[in-house]
Amino acid sequence: MQKLKEFVKKNPSFTVFALLALAIVLIAVFAPFIATHDPYEAVLADAVQAPSAEHWFGTDKMGRDLFSRVIYGARTSLSAALILVAIIVVVGTMLGIIAGYFGGIVDAVIMRISDMMISFPGMVLAIAVAGILGANIRNAIIAISIVSWTKYARLSRSLVLKIRNRDYIAAAQLTGSKTGYILTKHMLPNVLPTILITGATDIGSMMLEIAGLSFLGFGAQSPTAEWGLMLNEGRAYMTAAPWLMIFPGLAIFITVVVFNLLGDSLRDVLDPRS
Amino acid sequence: MKAKKIAALVLTAVMTLSLVACGGSSSGSSDSSSSSSDSSTSTSSSGGTTFTFGCDYFSEYIDPSVNVNSAWSLIRFGVGETLFAFDIDAIAQENICDGATTDDYITWTLHIRDGITFSNGKELTASAVVASWEMMYKKEAAGSTSTPSQYLANPTFTADDASGTITVVCEDVTTNLKGILAYPYFAVIDVDSYEEGVVDSVVGTGQYVLDSYVEATSKTFVKNDSYWNGEVPYDGYTAIYMTDSTTKAMAIQSGDVDVVENVTTASDLETLKNDSAYTVESTAGGRLANTYFNFNGQLANDTLRQAIQYAIDDETMCNVTVGGIYTAGCSVLPSSMDYGYDQLTDPYEYDLDAAVALLDDASIVDTDGDGVREIDGENINLKYYSFESRQLQTFAEAVSTVLNSIGIGVDYQVLDYDTILGLQTSGDFDMVSSNAVIVPTGNPDAFLGNFYSGNSDGYGYYSNAEYDAAYEEMITSTDEARKAELYVEMQQILIDDAATIVHGYYNSSITYNNSVIQGVEMYPLDYTWITTDWAPVG
Repeated sequence: MQKLKEFVKKNPSFTVFALLALAIVLIAVFAPFIATHDPYEAVLADAVQAPSAEHWFGTDKMGRDLFSRVIYGARTSLSAALILVAIIVVVGTMLGIIAGYFGGIVDAVIMRISDMMISFPGMVLAIAVAGILGANIRNAIIAISIVSWTKYARLSRSLVLKIRNRDYIAAAQLTGSKTGYILTKHMLPNVLPTILITGATDIGSMMLEIAGLSFLGFGAQSPTAEWGLMLNEGRAYMTAAPWLMIFPGLAIFITVVVFNLLGDSLRDVLDPRS
Repeated sequence: MKAKKIAALVLTAVMTLSLVACGGSSSGSSDSSSSSSDSSTSTSSSGGTTFTFGCDYFSEYIDPSVNVNSAWSLIRFGVGETLFAFDIDAIAQENICDGATTDDYITWTLHIRDGITFSNGKELTASAVVASWEMMYKKEAAGSTSTPSQYLANPTFTADDASGTITVVCEDVTTNLKGILAYPYFAVIDVDSYEEGVVDSVVGTGQYVLDSYVEATSKTFVKNDSYWNGEVPYDGYTAIYMTDSTTKAMAIQSGDVDVVENVTTASDLETLKNDSAYTVESTAGGRLANTYFNFNGQLANDTLRQAIQYAIDDETMCNVTVGGIYTAGCSVLPSSMDYGYDQLTDPYEYDLDAAVALLDDASIVDTDGDGVREIDGENINLKYYSFESRQLQTFAEAVSTVLNSIGIGVDYQVLDYDTILGLQTSGDFDMVSSNAVIVPTGNPDAFLGNFYSGNSDGYGYYSNAEYDAAYEEMITSTDEARKAELYVEMQQILIDDAATIVHGYYNSSITYNNSVIQGVEMYPLDYTWITTDWAPVG
């Protein structure tokens, strides 16, 4: 407990943002208890109602309760962003470590594929991939993963190259350590802090990318409660019923800001030199 | 170091050149007239008047032989004309033809009005009209999706330039030739100046001439100085493509355009209607929004279709969900037209409890507790396809939401129109949205053929012997009273069979800025947009 107090005292901003992030996660987890209505229950006659005591955020074009949909939207948007970041961190880091450690043809193949990916504008390529695969949230995650893993591959490769020729690696090889052991026990721990910080700061931007694809019709499909899709659905009512865009927009804004600042403060925690 | 400097200089030069190159226009235009931004009629460089028109991008072409949208564009933009034209009451009136006679409804003699020229000055003769029509049929035979034979199959045309007449011999009794020839496929263009694939090579007899265009962005038209039917009030106009309804509303409010067609978002339309600066002209047109059922799947079950009809609250969907841009109804033929709507009875008026009871009584229930009812041991899982046009996707979303709520599993997807056409043709659907003009030639005969078993493959394989017999009698009848009876009988059969979901009848609209333009009207058959009645204020 004493250690925790000291940690909090030493890292106040990280503590605040971690708590806020935790609160968002808890909202997603306990959405059924927080939501006031079934987010998918449509009462067509009650469409596009203004915020009221009955419907705190108003209702959408199908007469669904917007507050409940925003709360449930946290589940879709947050889980999609976390899954996406997990995929690109794991795949990108693994490929980057392999490329950096083995070098030669393996390095060339992985890095040229990476170069190909970054030679296209990311969002445009993601739209193309999502368009080919079909519009749904799973394919949106796959599409963005395909264009986003390269950052982690290049980052981890450069970090591995820094230590690849150190004496202790050579010593490990000479003493007969298996490649898998060297990669997991020597390489991975060296790249992990930087990768984790980058991953944490990417949660917000990935959430925006998924929301962007859904907004454009390439991600979540109706009637899924997803913030980007809700923004798109509200677009037609932008002037007459602005709450249809304001509340999902606010949800995206708050979540992205919290996770971005959490990533920044995590960097301060893990990298005291800065 | 020096090498680095040179490399930097070269890179800078390359980037600068790239930026300059990217700044060029890929326009096919030589000029584009500017639009008014202060909600006042523009004055062109020649001192005349112009207006700007915001409209959907249906086709790059104004060529009747490319596809149906380009054929419509030719008429809508006032470049081409047909021998007959539908008036505001949807009756085909003489246009560039001033006389039509027949004794047997098979051989027709049409007289071409004297003194008409194409906009390039060439005289409009009977031979020129026949050449234009024959080109359409040749292109259809070569694979064009413009299909004049859909409305007039295997005709023979004979031109007599001396008397200015065309003799049309139809394959069967054709009572509605005037209406058929008013369809945009039969617009007349000068085949001598026409070049396939060249957008601005299409020359018609209309009040305007295509002057320049920017691909998928805009088209600029100038007045046809030799127009035959009175003075053209404007020196020209610019059509600016805008597919998003809210963009259209904002464009007219900001003064970027003076007229817009079909603002379909309910809230925007309401705003414009409530603003005295604008007039929204709308008409309950001949467009039907409906959903076809596929009778080769689970929807062959009569009880399931009947329950679906009970579950759908068309009044609320038309008046609230899509904000009143449709008028609700139960039949495929609009209530606003004279096809006996008031003689019809709807046994499936909205009653959600009745829908649930019907399914329960027929043992179409959810036995495995997954929330979806089953038919013959299989979950009901209906593939429902829709596309973004005139709020069809909103209807489809509302329908699927309601059906899912009572345990009828619906997997609803919005796809592009071409994909849907493919799925429809291959029969790979359970429900598919449609928005069609049902009186394209002034009567609903062709549309009612969609439910005739000989034609219904692409519309869900509906089949009813009684309906087929009525259709066969109707299509050859020259007795208008009998036809009217048959229309009623066929509509009632479709209603009783729960053959299709009728969402409603689209209220086409056109909105204009009162301080800039006048004389704008919305025609029920919306081949017609721009007419010589559109004139500057004051």
